[in-house]
Amino acid sequence: MDELFDDIEKMARAEKRVAMATLVATRGTSPKREGAKMWIGEAGRILGSVTIGGCVDARVIAESEQVLSSSEPRLVEMKLADEDAWEIGFSCAGDLDVLIEPIDIPEGKVLDLYRAVRTAVDHGKAAVIATSLKDSSKKLLLIEGGEIAGTLGSAELDRAAQSMAFESMRKRASSTVSLGDDALPVFFEVHGPPPTLIVFGAGHVAMPLISLAHDLGLRTVVVDGRPRFATRERFPDVDELLIGIPSEIAETLSYTSSTFVVLTAHDYKYDLPVLKVVLPAKPAYVGLLGSRRRGKAIKEFLRDGGMEERLLDQIHVPTGLDIGADTAAEIALSILAEAVAIKSGRTSASLKERK
Amino acid sequence: MPVLYSEVLLDHFRHPRNYGSLNAPDISYESFNPLCGDRIRLELKLDQTTVQEARFKGDACAISTAAASLLTELLTGANLKQIAAISDEQLISALQSDIQPARRQCALLPLEALRQGLSEHR
Repeated sequence: MDELFDDIEKMARAEKRVAMATLVATRGTSPKREGAKMWIGEAGRILGSVTIGGCVDARVIAESEQVLSSSEPRLVEMKLADEDAWEIGFSCAGDLDVLIEPIDIPEGKVLDLYRAVRTAVDHGKAAVIATSLKDSSKKLLLIEGGEIAGTLGSAELDRAAQSMAFESMRKRASSTVSLGDDALPVFFEVHGPPPTLIVFGAGHVAMPLISLAHDLGLRTVVVDGRPRFATRERFPDVDELLIGIPSEIAETLSYTSSTFVVLTAHDYKYDLPVLKVVLPAKPAYVGLLGSRRRGKAIKEFLRDGGMEERLLDQIHVPTGLDIGADTAAEIALSILAEAVAIKSGRTSASLKERK
Repeated sequence: MPVLYSEVLLDHFRHPRNYGSLNAPDISYESFNPLCGDRIRLELKLDQTTVQEARFKGDACAISTAAASLLTELLTGANLKQIAAISDEQLISALQSDIQPARRQCALLPLEALRQGLSEHR
């Protein structure tokens, strides 16, 4: 997320006119998801990518140069393979649509739009830019909490876009949707705060867990009752270190569909009260360090205290994927791999096995 | 002979009495064990020199939690002189359990919060 906004600012500083290429639809297999962006400056600078390089990005660059020369946006449909690659079996076998728009930097309209989105995201809010794919100058900005700017061309379309935007914010997924009686294709580009990892327990597994999460671009929080463990020296990358009664701190934190919670204390005195707070809030992932047997005992205790089964089912114990993790760093890797897979709705199976 | 974890201890751990916080307490102190992470905050509301209400909050082991719960029962209705006189052994015996030397600090954590809170109040 930060990378996108940084790319925009880098381009704004260096170029007067830029082509903004956005992946707006995919069919079949695609290495990147809708919303991926590539910036092609009039003076030749390139940032970002709509695929993972190769022939498609090369064609996007070529198309962008024509867009800049004509000052007309275009929607380009592309196959994720050239003919040679198809013949020798190197194709990814997917199609994608890329919207390429000419951006006049001094005019500032699009730049201001993305700066407004960045401000919203920095304040912890999600934001959606809805763009008409028939006329990409028609854009509607919707910020979580109700703020709206711009229009898709009619009040009816704006109303329809508004309800779709909230759905997109909930799913945290950009997509193209047909709106109105004329089935106008509109691209909903979703931006939101980065996922957050909250770790209860500042022990040795928590340290690589926070470092790795930081490298993955997650916002990170460590909670513990022990000032000697929850230190900057042990957690140099952490965004927030909170010391106090863990369950009381847990009540003050917010949990969304982008929040991962991992309990690494391996101690019932933290696990039980924190789970009582966290489970009803339904974060994206709740991982509990410990054996299956320990997990069963923890769940039994919570069940006896009146916790509903559907809430208890959220607990991943033992936490992490079965990768033979032994060291603290390997355990951290296995936990984050499972958390990311669950948030993305994936099975965690090897990509080789994916149909 | 006291058992390792008596029914009294387990009951106060599973169903702690006076758990929570007070609005504008007269005495409040949070004690913690720096190594194991037990944390107990004790709060008292006074009526002149008598404890009108006692509450505790914290994430702590069964012994600490039960001791805090039992302590709030001992405190409610007592005067400042009486609560200052509560001894280590008085609280430990209230647990009716065989508290091993290594776990005495768990049992005494809420009492430490009381003593520190009283010393700040004076």
